Amino acid sequence: MSSENQDFNKSKAFLIDMTKCTGCRGCQVACKQWNQLGAEKTEFFTGEGYQNPPLMSEYTFTRIKFRDYEKNGQNEFAFYKEMCMHCNEPACASVCPVGAFKKTKEGPVTYDAERCIGCRFCMVACPFGVPKYEWSKALPLVRKCTGCYSRVKEGQKPACATTCVSAITYGNRDEMIKEANKRIAARPEKYLKKLYGAEEAGGTSVIYLTALPFDELGFKPVTKRPLPSYTWQALRLVPGIFLTVGSSLSLLSWFNHRKERIAKEEEQRKSGATPKEES
Amino acid sequence: MTAAKIIVNEIKGYHRFVKFLIVLVSLGALASLARFVFGLGVTTNLNDTFPWGLWISFDVVTAVPLAAGAFTLGAIVHCFHIKKLEPLVRPAIVTGFLGYSLVCVGLLLDLGQPQRCWHTMVYWNPHSPMFEVSMCIAAYTTVLFLEFLSPVCEKFGYHVPLRLLRTIEMPLVVAAASISTLHQSSLGTFFLIAVDKLHSLWYNPLLPLLFWLSAMCAGISIIIVEATMSHKYMGQPDESELLETLAKILPWVITVYLTVKVFSLVALTQGPLFNRPGLLVLFAVEVVCGVLLPLVMLMNGNVRENNRLRATAAWLVIAGVILNRFNVSMFGMEAPGTFYYPSFIESVVTIGIIAAHILFFVLIAKYFPIFEHHPETVDYSIPDHFRKTEKGHAHGAAKA
Repeated sequence: MSSENQDFNKSKAFLIDMTKCTGCRGCQVACKQWNQLGAEKTEFFTGEGYQNPPLMSEYTFTRIKFRDYEKNGQNEFAFYKEMCMHCNEPACASVCPVGAFKKTKEGPVTYDAERCIGCRFCMVACPFGVPKYEWSKALPLVRKCTGCYSRVKEGQKPACATTCVSAITYGNRDEMIKEANKRIAARPEKYLKKLYGAEEAGGTSVIYLTALPFDELGFKPVTKRPLPSYTWQALRLVPGIFLTVGSSLSLLSWFNHRKERIAKEEEQRKSGATPKEES
Repeated sequence: MTAAKIIVNEIKGYHRFVKFLIVLVSLGALASLARFVFGLGVTTNLNDTFPWGLWISFDVVTAVPLAAGAFTLGAIVHCFHIKKLEPLVRPAIVTGFLGYSLVCVGLLLDLGQPQRCWHTMVYWNPHSPMFEVSMCIAAYTTVLFLEFLSPVCEKFGYHVPLRLLRTIEMPLVVAAASISTLHQSSLGTFFLIAVDKLHSLWYNPLLPLLFWLSAMCAGISIIIVEATMSHKYMGQPDESELLETLAKILPWVITVYLTVKVFSLVALTQGPLFNRPGLLVLFAVEVVCGVLLPLVMLMNGNVRENNRLRATAAWLVIAGVILNRFNVSMFGMEAPGTFYYPSFIESVVTIGIIAAHILFFVLIAKYFPIFEHHPETVDYSIPDHFRKTEKGHAHGAAKA
């Protein structure tokens, strides 16, 4: 779990300007190289989107999603870089029974494969559908974008951000948000006047700028409230409920049993006393 | 005769239905072996879109409320002191113990790394409902095991442990009820994190409370069904009079459940309710057939007194709770246009687990004093009257 007094402004964040993305997918390749992820067998297909692999998976931590649209009578492409959002208060970290996920102070949400028991609750909980499973293995683990924590903690940028020539900026979160707002203010006709990631799921370490509405690009509509708070509002009552139920039932049964015991003793005394008097 | 021969002869003497159950359990065991040899991806229809399937929806999320009879009845009999229901407690404890043991089996099959299940005990994360539930299930399975030891000790005439078990009986009953309250409700908390995934027909902040209340409905109904069936098919004593009392308690619990459900649906639900016709039908079936119909039936004295109708009403409640758990953990979680159905191996494993439950129940009832328990000879008053229970043990042991 992330600590509540962590200052997320000073943690690192991605600013991904989708209007500057050319769809070269250098980030996908860099990600595979740095994380030593295997290739996937892909198929050529027609229809909506031209991206391959078709989905993120245990071998693909990030991918560029393509979207056709028409602008001034011309066909255009819009892109969306799908990856772990590195939430400030990650749902995956809150639901993991063994605490395998951790929000680091540098920003990335890391995953400890040594702890994971493979319950897949993180996959159910993640509002962005990020954690993926090693379905091919007999004893599978979860895989996801690590935010290149091993690079970031040594002062380097993540692999995808290093490779990207135009769209990805990496730095302190507050500066990234400031920069994003500056770009919107400078070119209001070009950008959608909203940031994705500034408030989504209580704020994430990946901030997107786009030209098209988010839902058209495949961004998931997500609550603004940090997800762990939804379960915590029930879970925080656990110790209290345990004590209340336990003590009230104990009291109730003690009372009922006492009543019975007294009645029985009374009866015994009576039946014990009568014969004595007779003898 | 060798020991193996004795066992084979014993099995040969079983009823055909029991032999059939043994075959189903063996098939289930084979199928779960296949899961470990070939992996989860090949043997199940699970994938990154449906990380949880039949094994979580039925073997865990549904099986836990179905095993709720033990704690509900324990509390009714020992804490609320409706002692005449006592003869039903033992079968309920056996059902609960089997149910929870099989929940553990199902959970271990579903885990990617079952050999690491002890990690939950070491790497605590109190913010996780899964942590809370696994701790509770571990604790409660232990409690049920201890409660189950009583008939075992009676069978073999171990008097000293029996006396010890009698001493901790009340604390165990209280622990059972409090632990069950926690994890029955926390199973609902699981789905509170699925904010934009679980459909608003089921998603609301009171989901944990609803899970707890419906678990008690299921628990009481299971006891009614189980006692009716073991009387009918296993020649066990007729407990209709006691079941009538239970059937009087049941509508009260259902009413509370229904009230909270309606309140949460009307007052606490955000988001559209009528945008998915398929889910709406499932919801209607769940509430009408699984809650309203049995409630109306059980409010009628004639139904409560009639063995068949009472069992039917109980079956309806059980079906309603099963459908509710599937709605919450499976159907309601599916995004529009996506559909999951269990694979052959997933189904065989689950059928094997259900068969194992019935099989072990029949076998335990055959070899241990479950139904022959004579509670009227046992003095449960605390704290210093345990020696009086001796008479009860001698009786039970002699009978066994």
